[in-house]
Amino acid sequence: MFWQLLISGLVIGSVYGLIALGYSLIYKASGLMTFAQGDLLTLGAFLGVTLYSGLNLPFAVSLVLAVLLAFFLGMGVEKFIIRRLLDKKVMAIYIVLATIAVSYIIQNGTMLGFGTKTLYFPAIFPFKTIKIGSISVQTESVVCIIVAVLCMLVLHFFMSKTKLGTAMRAASMDRLAAEARGIDVSLTTGITWGLAAGLAALGGMLIGPVFGVYTTLGSTIGKKGSAAAVTGGYGNMYGAMVGGLLLGIVETMVAGLWTSELKDMISYIILLVFLFLKPTGLFNERAIQD
Amino acid sequence: MGVLLELHNFQYSYGNIKVVKGIDLYVNEGEMVTLIGANGAGKTTTMQTISGLTEARGVEGEIIFDGKRIDKMKGNRIARMGLSQVLEGRHVFSKLTVEENLMNGAYTRKDKKGIQEDLKKIYQRFPRLLERKHQLGGTLSGGEQQMLAIGQALIANPKMILLDEPSLGLAPIIVDEIFEAIKEINREGTTVLFVEQNSHIALTTAHRGYVMQTGQIVLEDSCEALMNNEEVRRAYLGEDQEG
Repeated sequence: MFWQLLISGLVIGSVYGLIALGYSLIYKASGLMTFAQGDLLTLGAFLGVTLYSGLNLPFAVSLVLAVLLAFFLGMGVEKFIIRRLLDKKVMAIYIVLATIAVSYIIQNGTMLGFGTKTLYFPAIFPFKTIKIGSISVQTESVVCIIVAVLCMLVLHFFMSKTKLGTAMRAASMDRLAAEARGIDVSLTTGITWGLAAGLAALGGMLIGPVFGVYTTLGSTIGKKGSAAAVTGGYGNMYGAMVGGLLLGIVETMVAGLWTSELKDMISYIILLVFLFLKPTGLFNERAIQD
Repeated sequence: MGVLLELHNFQYSYGNIKVVKGIDLYVNEGEMVTLIGANGAGKTTTMQTISGLTEARGVEGEIIFDGKRIDKMKGNRIARMGLSQVLEGRHVFSKLTVEENLMNGAYTRKDKKGIQEDLKKIYQRFPRLLERKHQLGGTLSGGEQQMLAIGQALIANPKMILLDEPSLGLAPIIVDEIFEAIKEINREGTTVLFVEQNSHIALTTAHRGYVMQTGQIVLEDSCEALMNNEEVRRAYLGEDQEG
């Protein structure tokens, strides 16, 4: 029982982590918060299931395409909405509100485009379960955890070791100086929003086969992802992933070993506890403004 | 030796407030020119606009670098043209290591070998950066940060380097070190334009100077002549203040 719960916790936790990663990236690059992450997850899942079972593309190809489409959508949101508002010098809160608008437009758009029925991925792998020791685990769950962790490692490598990744970090620290060094800061900021959207879509592609795909799939996950980002330390990449896994495991354990009625509440209780006792989260050193 | 940078009737406004009111300025290839003046004269606005770092809508007049109009160009494109600025107040990337900071300065370059050679040269010029190459930029002392900021501008292998208040907040001994480095950089062929509040060091370092006052150029001459100018001596070199 414990091991089964742990695996389930890791599955949903890794998806929270991917979503939280997006929040952190955007916060770092723009100092902003977005509410569209959850709905981008939904969109990613719908795109994925359409490409995979509608167009009969291989799963990996569907995944990459869905993530790419979301990436460009994220870049577009930054370029045509966020940047324009920033150029008008509106207050940050209005931009955050604009992301709520984007969130609902995407949510409603998926309803219009893909219908209100829950769609299911046809079996992706020839074997339904994998045996790990004495327990058997749904193949999709194992894939979800592995892909999420791999993606985290790739992103870490990209951000810390590549020229573009380093430039993106530099731009998030000091836009003016980055531009002076020849970095196209509008482009790096756009890429950041694109990456966040891509990560959300990836989350959708990974959780879709486990949960099924429906228009509100992302709304709860999106909110819990933001709780995960705070728990890990808002703005910190590693914190996001650890925060996600932590929330995922705790809520699954609470639901499985105690009562499932607390399942959706526990993440927010943890969020509040962190805000009061350790507002810096697990990894962020500077959450309190001085 | 042609003109590398030219400003014609350059003006800059923040909204309705005109802070630079039509200045003409030029810098020849290989030259080292200084722009001095009191706080609020419009020096930093001028420098940042040359580098495309202010909002383009505030600009009037012409800025020409290397034969091309750059006054409406974005900052990163101007940097790519070989005009590299060391910003006022030592903008180093605080959470990147010293070496990452430097490599980030080479963002626009593709020649890996050339970058490595220039990196070595910068470490030779500022050995303290080599000792601290794995330290985060934010943990360096003020002087080291200024060296790092200059290193970042240099590793782009620019035709011209702009420095805004390189002495700001630094101990005199460090200021001397920094200005020695700037002179050497110029001797090796890079054109230099710098803004400086410390008029004495500015006029003893540069070839030519401009004096800026409330958005206008009020004097321009060789530094030697400016050093001997009554007005400059009184207002900027702090002589006869009691008298």
